[in-house]
Amino acid sequence: MGLWFSRLLSLFGDQEARILVLGLDNAGKTTILYRLHVGEVVQTIPTIGFNVETVTYKNIKFQVWDLGGQTSIRPYWRCYYPNTQAIIYVVDSCDVDRLPTSREEFQAILEEEELKDVAILVYANKQDLPGALSDAQVAEGLGLTSIKKRDWSIFKTSAIKGEGLFEGLDWLSNTLKTKRR
Amino acid sequence: MFSLLSGCFEFMLRKEELHVLVVGLDKAGKTTLLERLKTLYTDVPGLEPSQVVPTVGLNLAHFEALGTPLLCWDVGGAAGLRSIWSKYYGECHALVFCVDAADRGRLEEAKAALDRALGDRDLYGAPLLVLANKHDVEGAASPAELAEVFGLGRLDGRRPSSIQAVTARTGEGVKPAVQWLVENIKKSQRPELIRRRMLSQ
Repeated sequence: MGLWFSRLLSLFGDQEARILVLGLDNAGKTTILYRLHVGEVVQTIPTIGFNVETVTYKNIKFQVWDLGGQTSIRPYWRCYYPNTQAIIYVVDSCDVDRLPTSREEFQAILEEEELKDVAILVYANKQDLPGALSDAQVAEGLGLTSIKKRDWSIFKTSAIKGEGLFEGLDWLSNTLKTKRR
Repeated sequence: MFSLLSGCFEFMLRKEELHVLVVGLDKAGKTTLLERLKTLYTDVPGLEPSQVVPTVGLNLAHFEALGTPLLCWDVGGAAGLRSIWSKYYGECHALVFCVDAADRGRLEEAKAALDRALGDRDLYGAPLLVLANKHDVEGAASPAELAEVFGLGRLDGRRPSSIQAVTARTGEGVKPAVQWLVENIKKSQRPELIRRRMLSQ
């Protein structure tokens, strides 16, 4: 009954989706969150804990959670996994040295039972910097092609210049719309 | 206890899901085709063709046709991303190669991409269905013309192959294509091959 009622409501109002923004420290998660939320580059400090904002785009209210990415606080990511519809995984495309670490964290996320149905959007961030890896290289580095049972997409982004972020959300809103039953 | 029993029961009744990999150049209409499949075979309508954005990654469609569960993988076709196609070859039961039949200027590029795919050992014995998409556009190449360009006749011995005209935008020709796929996958040795490969891993 409740389900039926909420489905009826969603015909009139905006859909809502809970999105987690994950990735290693210094990948640009917080900058992305505020770029999406206020459309500007804000000065950020390393996140310890989380930032959460609501971004409305294409009739979907994205509740975007940006979680701190430092090694010591990564174990707490899983506290936020229940009821999540999508993961935005942010990679610093210039940080070639830590790509294997990023891969490990990413593969661990894919293994999580609570996240087995979520859509995966990857931002290959910091494309404005010289020496940034291409989207295909980041996809390879993360092992994205091991994903066979869910939708995934990767976008080249520059949070500083504001490029690629909304193209990613376009894909995400399409995916969430056709998945909903 | 009950869940154990029902789990066993489910396992015995479970039908094998067939994997279909859809590849082709960018702008060939792969994602539009996928969304059309969702609309035709599931109760969740797919996106309208106007809403489709270029794929940079993987889109999925789960559906059931002719009593067989199918999983379609639609992989992005932009030049930089074609390297990821091969990661899906090993586990797919059949390959669908989608061509924009109206874009005659890129048929050679499409042939090169198709040839590279068919040369991969991981696709051994997998049925090939070439879809001449955008068939409704005036001046679109006919299936016979495409067969000529792609040299499809010479493949017949090694794998079942067919070339069919479809219009993903309207859904014309999509159901016969799915029927061909299901029938030919079941006839081929591909399901057995993949089962064995999964077990050996």
